[in-house]
Amino acid sequence: MSVTRDDVLRIAQLAELEVEEDGLPALVDQMSRILDYIAQLSPATGSNGLRPFVPGPDAIRFQPDEVKPWPLAFGPEKFAPAFKDGFFVVPKLDQFE
Amino acid sequence: MTEAKAAADRLVKAKRLNALLTPVKELRKSLTEQALAARPTGVLYGMPVAVKDNICTLEFTTTCGSKILEGYRSPYEATAVAKLKAAGALIAGKTNCDEFAMGSSTEHSAYGRSIHPLDKARVPGGSSGGSAALVAAGAVPAALGSETGGSVRQPASFCGVVGIKPTYGRVSRYGLVAFGSSLDQIGAFGRSVHDAARVLSVISGRDPKDATCEDRDPLRLPTVPESLQGFVIGLPREYFPPDLDPAVRRACDRAVRLMKEQGAAVREVSLPHTQYAVPTYYVIAPAEASSNLARFDGVRFGPRADGATDLRTLYRRTRGEGFGPEVRRRILVGTYVLSAGYYDAYYRRAQQMRALIAQDFRNAFDRGVDLLFTPTTPTPAFKAGEKLADPVAMYLSDIFTVTANLAGLPAISLPVGRVKGLPVGGQFIGQAFLEDEMLEAAYALERAVPATEEA
Repeated sequence: MSVTRDDVLRIAQLAELEVEEDGLPALVDQMSRILDYIAQLSPATGSNGLRPFVPGPDAIRFQPDEVKPWPLAFGPEKFAPAFKDGFFVVPKLDQFE
Repeated sequence: MTEAKAAADRLVKAKRLNALLTPVKELRKSLTEQALAARPTGVLYGMPVAVKDNICTLEFTTTCGSKILEGYRSPYEATAVAKLKAAGALIAGKTNCDEFAMGSSTEHSAYGRSIHPLDKARVPGGSSGGSAALVAAGAVPAALGSETGGSVRQPASFCGVVGIKPTYGRVSRYGLVAFGSSLDQIGAFGRSVHDAARVLSVISGRDPKDATCEDRDPLRLPTVPESLQGFVIGLPREYFPPDLDPAVRRACDRAVRLMKEQGAAVREVSLPHTQYAVPTYYVIAPAEASSNLARFDGVRFGPRADGATDLRTLYRRTRGEGFGPEVRRRILVGTYVLSAGYYDAYYRRAQQMRALIAQDFRNAFDRGVDLLFTPTTPTPAFKAGEKLADPVAMYLSDIFTVTANLAGLPAISLPVGRVKGLPVGGQFIGQAFLEDEMLEAAYALERAVPATEEA
């Protein structure tokens, strides 16, 4: 399954990832090889009748997924690139598709 | 206090390995402070434990080996780290790793590659290569790593130390920076099975902060068995292919012979979907990574790219400049396999194959096998740069380890011999939550095998 330069640029756009023009040919080649490699799964899996996989072993009992406010040692102003008056500061939204 | 100073001195001596990311001055200061605060009654009192740099600590920065988190200091610590400290252990700095744990050589770190302690031209494995190298060099008796596809066991095998990956859900993932959430587990390195097992025992057990952590008591350490009488060990034929490195085969054959001499019954088994494990992993892990790493966008954590005048440019430029080539590749592959039109062809099929791989293990265990024994890696440590240009070749070095992650099972790698001076690891894969049984077998094999002799 080969990908083209345009495919990679489209995927990069979806992933919000800037890709440098110089590195594109190598990236196209490497992604094509990776996708060729994982394509061997297609003929191997057969029907859709299998039960869906649940992470972890059968025996696992997950706990209720509850959101609780765990205390932080310090606030976002210490680790955010820009934080003011309780808000993360970002540039304006421009032509967001 | 004496132990804190001695630990710092040993870590400074191991500096040539580029395995520790924490600056020496900061490390010395923190170790002294921790030693003063440590609980003398804790079961790991005074034991220095180095921590992989994708596990959050309050004492040191957590960069995940990435430029995108350069200088990032977490406002909370991982539950595993909190449990170590509560047991009296000293957090002995942060260890180098492949960026966001994506790699098998620790060459994909933004802070330079780590060096194999026995051969500077070779890699220590990865992604937890810094942790493995420090334990192998004797700088610390134990370290934490993380596993998504073998990132504790593979470097343990390469460096000649013990590495344990627990059952999925045995150890809390709270504070482990997520890569592949259905696969990730924190694991332990030690110079002996006992050291690694002691650390695992302390970090295991329930945690209200992680819903995927099983509501279960911490692992109780087994006693060292007199023999392997009563154990049925399965040898999966797919893990001993005709093209297996002959020296690795020799070392594993010797280990099997020693297990038989100790009374174990050994029989061949088949895990027929093993050949699809690596392609399955390289669909599921990048898919989960592309989602998990979406949060690193220059808004909330770490540095952001300069000069972006709109939000979208900020995202793209920060991520493009901040992530290294392997992480970028995996995000792109993950985005691709989850995108409309390709989801069924890749992701759904990989999930189906994952179910088949897990079923293979159930079938083997249902037929009376207690544990499986395999080589940990197809070859000893490879040379730096050897696999960098070919991502698929690099991925194949995880061929014997990814299955345990896909099925959520516990596994341990321990040294079983040397090949031209380089360590070779053997691996036990156990049944879910039966780490105690797996450790008993590992204790017995460790006692019997001449791990530092040529196979």
